[in-house]
Amino acid sequence: MTEYYLPLLQLCDSNFPTGAFSHSYGLETYIQEDKVHDRESFVEWLTAFVHEQLIYTDGLACRIAYQALAQQDFETLWTLDHKLNVQNLPSETREGTQRIGQRMGKLMQSLYDIPILTDYMDRIQKKQSFGHPSIVFTIVGHHLKATSFATTLYFLYSTCSSLIQNAVRAIPLGQTDGQKTIQQFHDELVKATESIQQLEEEDFGVVSPGLELAQMKHEHVNIRIFMS
Amino acid sequence: MEEWTGLLQLAVADRGGKTVPKSVYFQGAFKVMRPIYHSASGQACYYLLNPGGGYVDGDRYRMDITAEKDSRLTLTTQSATKVYRTPRNHVYQEANFHLKGGSYLEYLPDALIAYQQARYTQKTIIRMDPTATLFYSDILTPGWSPENRHFSYEQLRLVTEIYMDDELVVFDHLKLQPALHTMDALGVMEGYTHVGTILAVREDITQDVINRLHEELITSYDCRIGISRLSTAGFTVRILANQTQVVERVIGQCHRFVSEEWFQEKPSFLRKY
Repeated sequence: MTEYYLPLLQLCDSNFPTGAFSHSYGLETYIQEDKVHDRESFVEWLTAFVHEQLIYTDGLACRIAYQALAQQDFETLWTLDHKLNVQNLPSETREGTQRIGQRMGKLMQSLYDIPILTDYMDRIQKKQSFGHPSIVFTIVGHHLKATSFATTLYFLYSTCSSLIQNAVRAIPLGQTDGQKTIQQFHDELVKATESIQQLEEEDFGVVSPGLELAQMKHEHVNIRIFMS
Repeated sequence: MEEWTGLLQLAVADRGGKTVPKSVYFQGAFKVMRPIYHSASGQACYYLLNPGGGYVDGDRYRMDITAEKDSRLTLTTQSATKVYRTPRNHVYQEANFHLKGGSYLEYLPDALIAYQQARYTQKTIIRMDPTATLFYSDILTPGWSPENRHFSYEQLRLVTEIYMDDELVVFDHLKLQPALHTMDALGVMEGYTHVGTILAVREDITQDVINRLHEELITSYDCRIGISRLSTAGFTVRILANQTQVVERVIGQCHRFVSEEWFQEKPSFLRKY
């Protein structure tokens, strides 16, 4: 049961080129407004991002997608892809996430031969689907026979470790502070994954007003190093 | 048959440039007055009344509104919607809007005020033709409580879905649970108490239109405003503020902007008090 450890670790590596390093999901707005300026204030933002947004969107999507894959209910996957896109109201975040999903999908295709991933990429090519990283990641996690819980947890980890690396560059924080933050989030991410198991499907897509508004405001941030 | 505390079914149609009622049915604690014509445009304005004075424990409201081809409809409320404590069951409001080809709906309700221990769920489903136009808004405010605390309500959940030709194009889900969240925290309400939302959909809304609106919205009010292009032709605005009047002013500004942009008209003043 340990065969999936290293393959999943590879996908979570911050060098795994999905383009996530170009997106801050509204963090940059707070940095420019000086509301996030050190490790403490960054942790406050990341905690809110994980528990108020990520679990209801990408996190819950991992769980739903995994179950759909286990039941070979692919229609649910395509509906989920559509819903993930239209619920993401800030356009930069929506389009950025789509780009990451597509890039991650292409890369996974060159690493693994998974029929449903090929179908997904074909649909994206034909503009029948948008492409979302949580679905691509879950397809691979399921293929590697990781559990649903592990797949969700690793996915959250990959999202957060990229964001922490982005914060190290943008705030900036020291490398040690970055690593301390990653370590601090081990427990937070397990907690978040546990919360995801308790959610109802009708909880899908809940957004937190402040986080979302900052993602919208990013479109008008003057000097920027991130695309969202 | 489902039991509704209040049920409203309204359909309007265009008759030679004037929007007239096609069918009106209401029962229980929902009511509309006869349409008012504020201008020469022929646009009908309906005021929604809640004769009960407010929503209480377990109330269930439903409205089905249809704007037939080329009709123009304003739907507003006569006063704020008050949700009181709901010890047993949450209050539920469902709204179904059908916008047919070339029709226009502006939905401009007064604020929703959620008092102590209120639980409220709202589901709004808008089905529109690609040639129809929508301007939708809502305002959420916390009611006064004896301890003078903000956020004494228990839960507000608002789900809004817009379908175009049966395809979901917008999905918005707000859920505020003050007991479980630090409302003032970064990422949540950030020191504000009121939330306003606008959803505008029309086939000729471009990024340029949105940018011009954004320019106009840079105000000196104490509020935080986000505006963004939807995945269909349209935009959303989210407003955080501490006063209903501030949210109303921002919504009013956007409404004026789109009225001029789309119809070269100034919107009518919705006289209520």
